Amino acid sequence: MSVIIILLLPLIAAALVCIPLKKYWASGVTVVSSVAILILATRITLRVAAGNPVVSTLMFGLQQWIAVDGLSALILLLIAFVATTAAIYSVGYMAHENLKPSKLRLYYANYNLFVFSMLAIPVLADPTLVWIVVELTTLCSALLVSFQNTREALEAAWKYVVLSLMGAGMALFGFLVLFAAMQASGSNGVYTWDGLIVAAPTMPPVLLQTAFLLILIGLGTKVGLVPMHTWLPDAHSQAPTPVCALLSGIETSAILYVILRMFPIMHASPHSHAETWALVLGLISVGTAAFLLLQVRDYKRMFAFSTVEHMGIILTAVGLGASVAGYSAMLQIVSHSVTKSFCFFAAGAALMAVGTREIAAVRGLIRKSPAASVGLVLGGLAICGAPPMAVFLSEFSILKAGLMQKQYVATGLLAIFIVIAFFGIMLHINRMVFGAPENINGESPEENHLEPQAVENSHLPFSCRLAMILAAVPVLVLGVYIPKPLDDLLTQAAAALTK
Amino acid sequence: MSKAILFNLIQVLVVMAFAPLASGVLSRMKEIVQSKRGPSIFQPYRDLWKLFHKDEIVSEDSSWIFRFTPYIVFVTPIFVATLIPVLTNYPLFFAFMGDMIGAGFVLALGGFFATLAAVDTANPYGPIGASRTRMVGFLAEPVFMIVFFTVSFVAGSTIPYIVQEKWVTPLANFFTPSHVLLMLSFLMLILAEGGRIPVDNPTGHFELAMIDESKSLEYSGRGFALMKWGGQMKFFVLMCVFLNVLVTPWGLAGAHTLGAVLLAIPFVLFKIFCFLLVLVVIESSLSKLRLFRITEFLGAAFIISVAAMIAQIFLP
Amino acid sequence: MSESTNQLLDNLNALATGLFLLTAFGIVAMRQARGCLNLFIIQSLLLAASAALLGLRHESSHLYGVALVNLISKPIIVPWLLRRTASAEIYTRREIDQVLNIPTALLIALALTILSYFLAQPILNAVAPEFRGPNVPIGIAGLLLGAFTLTVRREALPLLIGLLVMENGAFLAGISIARNLPLLVELAIATDGLIIVFISGVLIRAVEKHVGTTAVGELASLKEAAAEPAAKEASK
Repeated sequence: MSVIIILLLPLIAAALVCIPLKKYWASGVTVVSSVAILILATRITLRVAAGNPVVSTLMFGLQQWIAVDGLSALILLLIAFVATTAAIYSVGYMAHENLKPSKLRLYYANYNLFVFSMLAIPVLADPTLVWIVVELTTLCSALLVSFQNTREALEAAWKYVVLSLMGAGMALFGFLVLFAAMQASGSNGVYTWDGLIVAAPTMPPVLLQTAFLLILIGLGTKVGLVPMHTWLPDAHSQAPTPVCALLSGIETSAILYVILRMFPIMHASPHSHAETWALVLGLISVGTAAFLLLQVRDYKRMFAFSTVEHMGIILTAVGLGASVAGYSAMLQIVSHSVTKSFCFFAAGAALMAVGTREIAAVRGLIRKSPAASVGLVLGGLAICGAPPMAVFLSEFSILKAGLMQKQYVATGLLAIFIVIAFFGIMLHINRMVFGAPENINGESPEENHLEPQAVENSHLPFSCRLAMILAAVPVLVLGVYIPKPLDDLLTQAAAALTK
Repeated sequence: MSKAILFNLIQVLVVMAFAPLASGVLSRMKEIVQSKRGPSIFQPYRDLWKLFHKDEIVSEDSSWIFRFTPYIVFVTPIFVATLIPVLTNYPLFFAFMGDMIGAGFVLALGGFFATLAAVDTANPYGPIGASRTRMVGFLAEPVFMIVFFTVSFVAGSTIPYIVQEKWVTPLANFFTPSHVLLMLSFLMLILAEGGRIPVDNPTGHFELAMIDESKSLEYSGRGFALMKWGGQMKFFVLMCVFLNVLVTPWGLAGAHTLGAVLLAIPFVLFKIFCFLLVLVVIESSLSKLRLFRITEFLGAAFIISVAAMIAQIFLP
Repeated sequence: MSESTNQLLDNLNALATGLFLLTAFGIVAMRQARGCLNLFIIQSLLLAASAALLGLRHESSHLYGVALVNLISKPIIVPWLLRRTASAEIYTRREIDQVLNIPTALLIALALTILSYFLAQPILNAVAPEFRGPNVPIGIAGLLLGAFTLTVRREALPLLIGLLVMENGAFLAGISIARNLPLLVELAIATDGLIIVFISGVLIRAVEKHVGTTAVGELASLKEAAAEPAAKEASK
């Protein structure tokens, strides 16, 4: 029941936001609904972590259309958390932008619809319904990506829509083949994720493998796996910062969840090469992203490439063997979500301080905006995998699992790529935060035309700081201590992966 | 056997006699569609009669090709008329002399000589039209080949009589995708080879834009009459192939009697009339394509014919 | 159902799918934006016809529902939505110079069709015999041709139609192998298609308003090298 409330809340919020009331009505409603969702999600997660998965039935010919097990609960919790922090951050960020009230309402309405579509992904049990909701995420976020209506933002939004829908078209065919495979297997189960696992041993392998490949490549476009990632740096950098946090932090992970659901199904079927595919694709993504990170010129794009890299790391972890690296993969998802959203909050703070996204134009940020610089340094270190932060723990355990599986080549490559990415990110952030204000074209910094109205509003709004602190807490804490409920949840999630 | 020869002769006479009629009916219907009265449908006969009684003027710079070509252009369609089913659906005396591919080559022979003759006279517009005709011709050849290939793949033979027997025998086969696609591509082919809109304007007098008409620019008197008549017969023959072999192989004489063969004549004329109606609709609603677009037109015809072939071969 | 009626229905279904393929070719090659839209409408009608014929043949009422849903949503609602959301400018566009000239594009489309027949063979061999038919190969061809249209066209409306053709293709293949999909799911997929059109229409209108061109396929300024001047003016 609370699951249905979780799904209804953002819809109600989206409707309420459209009413033109006082100045903080739209943002307030959004924040309140996000916090409510977070509370409900935490309750469900605690229940699932204790070992009681939620299953609910509804009529209209769809049996068991809501099912929340360990993996779903994990993603649900993460979505709720990132949505809440991003909603808090939006309050200050959007106020800084000085928008027309109608445009602001449009933003919040879209925001809530986007959150709704993401929340629906882990809880629905019928794969075709999941596909529909995945398409909805693209459509609800398209207008958010193009929000600033500049040429680049519109181009990014168009590329995003076209490539995502192309992938979704392939994935649709994959899901239909999966349905056909289920029918051909002769089992009488219902078409849900669990039913598929049960029916998998008797499915014709050709159909199952075709479906898996189609879904991997089709939904991989949305996740940002190379070589289908070309839209990701553009879309994730041109969108307004809170939306970037949502997109990079949790949306790609949610779509990756859908791909991960295919793995236990493939396990149950004889001679499947699912792991090999995941390993190869994951390593290619990590490598390409690491190298592309070195020559990036825009710091939001840098973080976007880092998303591609981390998606690759998660996929590699699953490819190494879900029974061994499953827990680490889940931990990596958690750490990446919280850390990436924090990074984007910091990037947004920097953007508000200096007014430009270009790395070469930002120097000596520590003097202009201490909050932003601290955030950037912390975020950069965290996302690269420096101890004692969360990402370090998860990456280390993935590497350990790889060594235990005797996959030396893959583990070695992974380690090299992670180091390259570390180097790239820290190089850029270092330059931005600590560099002496350089004299470009021989002029003194004040006359430098690259920093126009930089110093005016360098005071970070309170809500932004609050959001950054809230997001920083798990980043720092999870590096040293994983609370027992979270540990249970991660174990449950890993178990769901190896069913 | 004498009956077979007689029927073959009747077939050829029918083609010779009714080709100008078809051309006359077509131009009359086009004019009616444009709300004009149009010439009488027997006007082409009168034109041919007039031309046969006129003097012929031949350029001194031309060679034997120029004098020889009208006869070739006149005879080749007659040759083809002996090979294809016009009135009967059983093979006649000369039926096995050549198959559909042979018929295509014979028609192409006529076109080849016409092109040469157009270049022969040193008239500047001749070679322009000749090169364009060749372009249309060589683009249309692959379509011909693929169509005949697909059709003979089904029937197991390239003789048109055998194809016609097997092609749409159960009525359900009329609707198979390969059949529909083949009809479409062969229709585009007839438009191209016959010099109709949208490929070429048959009533145009603007020499710079002529494709098919330019090959008879220099002729007068008897030569001109033979070229005209030959062109009309070629078009009639193409229509017969289209209708009697590919689209509606019904209404042809089944019995070996003279009466049945004579009865088939009005049926065939009726089918040709219906096709001419379709042609009038197409011609009146489209505009002439620019020259470089003709490649796209014929490219599309090629693609459609290959799609028909794929649908035929790969379809379960 | 007698044998000959079955045969006739099978042939009619094959005809509908054959013409579906033809319209997909037309969408790749057709220069005028409005022509693309008309071809898409014809294609959706053919999809509905194929669904209805398959429903008749295999006596499955689900497929009638699919046919009805497709009949209403795509030929009627999609053009209406487009007219409301996107600017009227997109209907009048023609592509004068293209990325690939038309005969080459058509030849590649042909190669893709042959490829899709080969790709469909393993799937067809794995399903039960009554599910085999021309739908799966031509559906996969529709998918590939839609993706190909997306790469060669530059005007907004043909790009959008390419996306919808991909979905049509996936659907055409799906209705022959996944027959008992719940009707709710079919409805939701159709609604999804409509939302795609809506959002794309809004985006196209925004592009036309702020960038001044409807050739959205040509927008290519976001690259690593070009990021410098772009980021400067975009980040105010």
